[in-house]
Amino acid sequence: MKRSRTAALLLMSAAPLMLTACGSDDATSEGLYTSVDACVEQTNDRYTCQEAFAQATAKAETESPRYESREDCIAAHGEGQCEQRKTSTGHSYFMPMMTGFLLGQMLRGGQSAGFAGNPAYRDRAGNWQRPAPGAAGGVYRAGSAGAAMAPINAQPNKAPTVSRGGFGSSSSSRSSSGG
Amino acid sequence: MRRIAIPERANWRERAEEAGFAFHTIDGEPYWDESAYYAFTLREIEDDIEAPTEELHGMALDMLDDIVGNEERLRQLDVPEPFWDLIARSWRERQPHLYGRMDFAYDGTGPAKLYELNYDTPTSLYEAAFFQWQWLDDQQRAGRLPLAADQYNSIYESLVEAFGTIAQRLPRPFYLSAVRESVEDQGTIEYLRECAVQAGIDCGLLAIEDIGVSEDGRYTDLKDTVIGTLFKLYPLEDLFREEFGRYLPNAGVMLIEPPWKAVLSNKGILPMLWQKHEGHPNLLPAWFDDGRSPLPAGWVRKPLYSREGANIDLHLPDGTSQRSDGPYNGPCIRQAYHPLADFDGRSVLVGSWVVGDRACGIGIREDRSLITRDTARFLPHAIVAEQTSVLIA
Repeated sequence: MKRSRTAALLLMSAAPLMLTACGSDDATSEGLYTSVDACVEQTNDRYTCQEAFAQATAKAETESPRYESREDCIAAHGEGQCEQRKTSTGHSYFMPMMTGFLLGQMLRGGQSAGFAGNPAYRDRAGNWQRPAPGAAGGVYRAGSAGAAMAPINAQPNKAPTVSRGGFGSSSSSRSSSGG
Repeated sequence: MRRIAIPERANWRERAEEAGFAFHTIDGEPYWDESAYYAFTLREIEDDIEAPTEELHGMALDMLDDIVGNEERLRQLDVPEPFWDLIARSWRERQPHLYGRMDFAYDGTGPAKLYELNYDTPTSLYEAAFFQWQWLDDQQRAGRLPLAADQYNSIYESLVEAFGTIAQRLPRPFYLSAVRESVEDQGTIEYLRECAVQAGIDCGLLAIEDIGVSEDGRYTDLKDTVIGTLFKLYPLEDLFREEFGRYLPNAGVMLIEPPWKAVLSNKGILPMLWQKHEGHPNLLPAWFDDGRSPLPAGWVRKPLYSREGANIDLHLPDGTSQRSDGPYNGPCIRQAYHPLADFDGRSVLVGSWVVGDRACGIGIREDRSLITRDTARFLPHAIVAEQTSVLIA
């Protein structure tokens, strides 16, 4: 057969959707920051940034991935990224350092309706990641760490825009830019 | 290859509306036309279109090593010097590309002749990938086409697969961008987003006019987030030339199509291909042209940067000439005149899709004039066995 077996539309179809883009009134926005200062610079909200950082730090104690050995931790997160901890019973384990935090804001009708701070880590390649939902606690063994962490799509890259509209000027002379 | 009349689906306009096909009629004129279809044999598709498309695609990519580091070549192609390094780097890193379309003159006999490569901003994608697929499916269900009929069209599957393949290399956030007011372009990027999302890539749409620049020269979205990857349905040469273009080399943005496509979407690639593969059955003789000297009969002059059949100067073998208007000027090429296929007085262009590096489908455009313009109608096609097609006709 020379044609696609199906040609499904999920977003473009007017029929009931299996998947919605972002049509609900409630939305969340999430920023990734490497320090409270970076957060304040973006949001102009020192209180929220400090609270989110404090929440993230507290959650890191319980939600960070834990490794039985330093080698396992380094394999997942890279050299210099791991620290040793001990449980209350004296059992030793290793966990990666929190290298950033996520400030999640619940928006309702464009207004902030609460926020949450969560820890962020980097994997060995430098990609940002967070504990996967439901993966908190327990000790990870080598090879399983990847599955317990989820990538973070937000980038720690906010930059105030100083100008817009510098692209598109050639389009006035034609109906389409395609060919 | 034959043109065969067939009843339209009674509800095709509703089908179009419910599937987000907003530009089936443009300025009151039909664009999608299913009052007929083109019937191909499997041999015609595989031997005359699919195989040459794959071969020409490989030949085009093979040209890049010779061009991207070659000052004289880049000047011939009228690529502005500040972007030479960007183009060379993007090719050295083999930055991912998504798709392109080759336009062929083909009538079912003899080799298909390459008119040009639309390798930067090809459109008519949604109607080829989705709507003609649905047309065949509907017509088979209605019993108007045999269940054994097929279509050369795995464009959708190829797009989802290509997005999945390159997903890991695309910095986020990933935006698809086109001119805000162009219904056709917006429809095309909506469809591409559809395919990207189905491949598991989170991405958004952004009007090309809404792109911002930060103080340190990076591109931003409307929330001041730095754009990681930008699919732009907007010519690279225009991005280069416009106000924000000067930030491109250092903005750290991944472009799709990548900067190296500026070399292949340029009509100057046609004389370069001819120079290297003179006499190839699918190529037309082509040369660089100063744009001023008189054009002999039997030659066509095209600006290096021209889209949708604009500013084409056609000198027919009988001495008459035709010319299309448009906004493009600058350096040109000349290409040997080779007529489009003529079916009942309609000139037919075969657009052959390449997704990733795979030839995967076609779309047919029909125009009353010898020059295929953006108003040319899109007609569906089917692959039918020789025997069956005679019965239907």
